[in-house]
Amino acid sequence: MTATTLPEVSQSNAEVPAGRRSRRGLVFGLTVAVVVAAVGYAVPYVIKDTYTMSLAVEAALLGLLALGIGFLARHLGLISLGHTSFFGGAAYAVGVGVNHYGWSMTQSFAFGVLVGTALSLVMGVLVVRASGMGFLMLTLALSQALYQLCVQTSFRPLTGAYDGLLISFRPDDTFAGVNASDLQNPGLFWPIVWIVLIVCVVAVWLLGRSPFGTILEGVRENEERMRFSNYNTFRPRLAAFVLSGLVASLGGALFALNGAYVSPDILGFSRAGDSLIAAMVGGLGSLIGPLLGTGLYVWGEAHLNTGGNLHLYTGIALIVVLVFLPGGVTGTLQRIWRRLRKERPGMGGRR
Amino acid sequence: MNAAQVLNGIALGSLLMVLSSGLAMIYGLRGVTNFAHGALYMSGAYIAYSVSLHVSFWLALVVVPVALALIGVVLELVFFRPLQNRSHIELGLVTFGLALIAERVVVLIWGEKTLSVDPPPGLRGTTSLFGVEYPTFRLAIIVAAVVMAVALVTWLRRTRTGLYIRAASQDLETAGIMGIDVNRISLIVVSLGAALAGLAGALAAPYVSLDPGMGDTFLIIVLIVVVVGGVGSIAGAMISGMALGIIQTLTTVWSPSVAVVVPYVALVVVLLWRPQGLAGRRV
Repeated sequence: MTATTLPEVSQSNAEVPAGRRSRRGLVFGLTVAVVVAAVGYAVPYVIKDTYTMSLAVEAALLGLLALGIGFLARHLGLISLGHTSFFGGAAYAVGVGVNHYGWSMTQSFAFGVLVGTALSLVMGVLVVRASGMGFLMLTLALSQALYQLCVQTSFRPLTGAYDGLLISFRPDDTFAGVNASDLQNPGLFWPIVWIVLIVCVVAVWLLGRSPFGTILEGVRENEERMRFSNYNTFRPRLAAFVLSGLVASLGGALFALNGAYVSPDILGFSRAGDSLIAAMVGGLGSLIGPLLGTGLYVWGEAHLNTGGNLHLYTGIALIVVLVFLPGGVTGTLQRIWRRLRKERPGMGGRR
Repeated sequence: MNAAQVLNGIALGSLLMVLSSGLAMIYGLRGVTNFAHGALYMSGAYIAYSVSLHVSFWLALVVVPVALALIGVVLELVFFRPLQNRSHIELGLVTFGLALIAERVVVLIWGEKTLSVDPPPGLRGTTSLFGVEYPTFRLAIIVAAVVMAVALVTWLRRTRTGLYIRAASQDLETAGIMGIDVNRISLIVVSLGAALAGLAGALAAPYVSLDPGMGDTFLIIVLIVVVVGGVGSIAGAMISGMALGIIQTLTTVWSPSVAVVVPYVALVVVLLWRPQGLAGRRV
């Protein structure tokens, strides 16, 4: 098993020298975040169409999953096919909390996030020592084990097996000030998922800039040298894995509240593949790449899924990106931007 | 537990053995984790369905490996060779994309309905063995797989090409420096691996039902088999494939819920206890 990180991941990050991580960048980034948050918050007042709005909610929910996958890929060079376990695990746990234990939505949400994060801790202990292909296959195998367990007939009372889990909220229950019956309304659910998404993006961005992020990059570039330098490399890796699991769990728990139904498909092989493909097409080298890719994926799912041929297009998109556009959409845009900036002074000075 | 259940385990193990040996060969040489292997297996089964519907199953056993070997040639020439300097993960994900496309193409040609293939006339019915009446066709699968395994191992151990393949799997670059035509060897290995996957599909066609998801379920198990056996080790993959088939079938008799997680538990245990796989680096 050869440990190989994706070249585009190392390239794009190697560009940021430690010295540029200034206070100005921090203020600028946070300002952008606040502006984007405010603009996004107003979206339901502009888009009145429920269908478009439901797509936006779906993109934001799956965006949290992709954000977790992207964080791990960007800072550790680890490509995971297992994050659906945390997304799906959290969603199932919300359902179990409401249906089985009769908890309120807020309690069940907390329980869901806790279960998803706990799953990521367990899986993380088993997999973070692996790298490259080994990591990919281990995460795939473990997430599929969870899927297989979930659809077993003996778990039917808890998970509903192949039928999925229909979550019946109490009608008078509220979550973050929204009534149970209004959670399915994408316009009313949007502010919740949007705030969570922005908070996660900012948190992930800040962590990437922190000393912790620098340690992660060291581990990614040369794990052995980090160990020589007296760093424990297991704990930062595990912490990063659990953190990305937490982000995915938040998405999954919100997904269950929004949909009131959890199907075993969200734990399945094809969901795992789709989430990774979406993140890769957007570009794993940047923070917003996976989010952009997920947006494209949700759009494609809604508009290109003629006759169930979505996988035909995602397959082609994946191959095209990998072969011709390393770094995905954002990576390609960055390259074009850099070339334009280089060429301008060059052309002026040439005789 | 009776002889029939043990034989069922061996039949499943035989299919896993044929599939995983091809996957291990491709991995050993190109370093590619071929996620399209399940799709190759599925294509083999579907082509076998069409051929046996229009002509005969026996012809399918010849046509399918040839057709899949051609697909293997395309795989090698269009993807593996031009992209050999990319990271292994990128190449693996390219095959992942190919698998998605292949799955849809199969649906577009044959539809989403579950299909079934009848065993050929000579192999219908049951045979009495160890005091049980056992389906003759499953015995034929076992015989075919064992013959293939012995032939493959002999070929790898006794012929010059086999020697080259083993050398190239150890170290592609050094083998090239020693004057081995690595591109030719790689072409042989990838097309042979694809042909073996197709053969497994053709053999499985009358045994399992054909649906577009049949590749996915097998793919994950076969990936696990290859990792457990020692990545790139052909003999290791064969042995662990057979062992997993038998263990899983026998556990199903005892408790189906436990049986489905057996491969995953095996993977985790082996990787924690012996990360290089059971056979290690030996080809």
